[in-house]
Amino acid sequence: MKSRVILAAFIIPLGLIIAAVPAYKTLSTSVSPEEILNEVRSGIQIITTDEVAEMIIAKDPSLLLIDIRSPEEFEKFNLPGALNIPIDNILSDEWIDIFDQNIKMNVLYGNGTTKSNEAWMILRQLGFENNYVLQGGLNYWAETIMNPKPPSNINPDDEIAKYDFRKGAGQALGGGSISVNQGNESTTKKAVIKRKKKKKRVAGGC
Amino acid sequence: MGPLIVNEIISQNTNYLLAFVIGIGFGFVLEASGFSSSRKLAGMFYGYDTVVLKVFFTAAITASLGLLFFSLFGWIDLSLIYINPTYLWSAITGGVIMGAGFIMGGFCPGTSFCGAAIGKIDAMIFIAGLFIGVLIFTEGYPLFEKMYMAEFLGAPKVSDSLGLKDGVFAFLLVLAALGMFWAGEWAEKKFPREEY
Repeated sequence: MKSRVILAAFIIPLGLIIAAVPAYKTLSTSVSPEEILNEVRSGIQIITTDEVAEMIIAKDPSLLLIDIRSPEEFEKFNLPGALNIPIDNILSDEWIDIFDQNIKMNVLYGNGTTKSNEAWMILRQLGFENNYVLQGGLNYWAETIMNPKPPSNINPDDEIAKYDFRKGAGQALGGGSISVNQGNESTTKKAVIKRKKKKKRVAGGC
Repeated sequence: MGPLIVNEIISQNTNYLLAFVIGIGFGFVLEASGFSSSRKLAGMFYGYDTVVLKVFFTAAITASLGLLFFSLFGWIDLSLIYINPTYLWSAITGGVIMGAGFIMGGFCPGTSFCGAAIGKIDAMIFIAGLFIGVLIFTEGYPLFEKMYMAEFLGAPKVSDSLGLKDGVFAFLLVLAALGMFWAGEWAEKKFPREEY
């Protein structure tokens, strides 16, 4: 009898404490700061615009684009199939299943990379994997995919091939317009694009 | 930090050594709680002795609170903890067979070894029966395979399927356990048995 009272007096408060702790704190533990520093320095979280363009065109089901800008900005322009999770909401319980999973490849993007990197770092600290940052954000996307600059003739062949790819991808993805052309044009363009071997993690190129 | 073995803080050999020590500790607690007596175990079913319920539920709430607090303090990575996968039909069938064996034999597999270790003959016979069961299952596996693998649910947690936070579920489990302890002691008074 008495032992049960002692047990209850001890274990009920502990239960109350653990029930009051926010859910993400008892999820898989955070990654150590050293590990994150290493990852940031090697740029392992960066995924290139070319890679993302390829995946969008190939309708790769493992890709999930996440727009971390405000809903207003998202309305104005977004990448095809992107999900809008403003950076303020990334910790809400609603989205935790999207960030904490190991099936899809989440690519975070904003206008630049500051905010998406911030979001990535928070998610990484929670121990979540499979979240990446779009290289250069939407600005760089516009620069490289929507309006690629032709390389000069002295550039090596792979530069020219890259330009051709970007031009094709830009057209297939609507060349800067909001709507994406899903019609015949894009399917014919698909044939032009060479599918590179898919890599799970891509380091930022220079 | 934890789990120690996954994060290579301890070696495989140290792991076996720790498992050995913990195993002895487990056997010690079983014996100290009187679990090597088949009457005590069967008492759970008839209601005259509910120490089995108390010991195992105390273990469950201690472990669940312990794991959650360890995770909160950053001492363990819960995503690396192995969760036994659920095959619904084999879990139900296995539970029924185990429960029936529990009442008939008065032991569960762990306690039968405990009983055998202190020289109880009924426990040794129980172990022999256990191996006969193992033999029937392995030899007859093709017959059972379909049912054995049916309704695979992955490794779900009750808290996930109820849509509760782990911590809230742990708290509810604590309350449920304390409620059961209370009900168990009530049953002990209601169905007393002198000679066991």
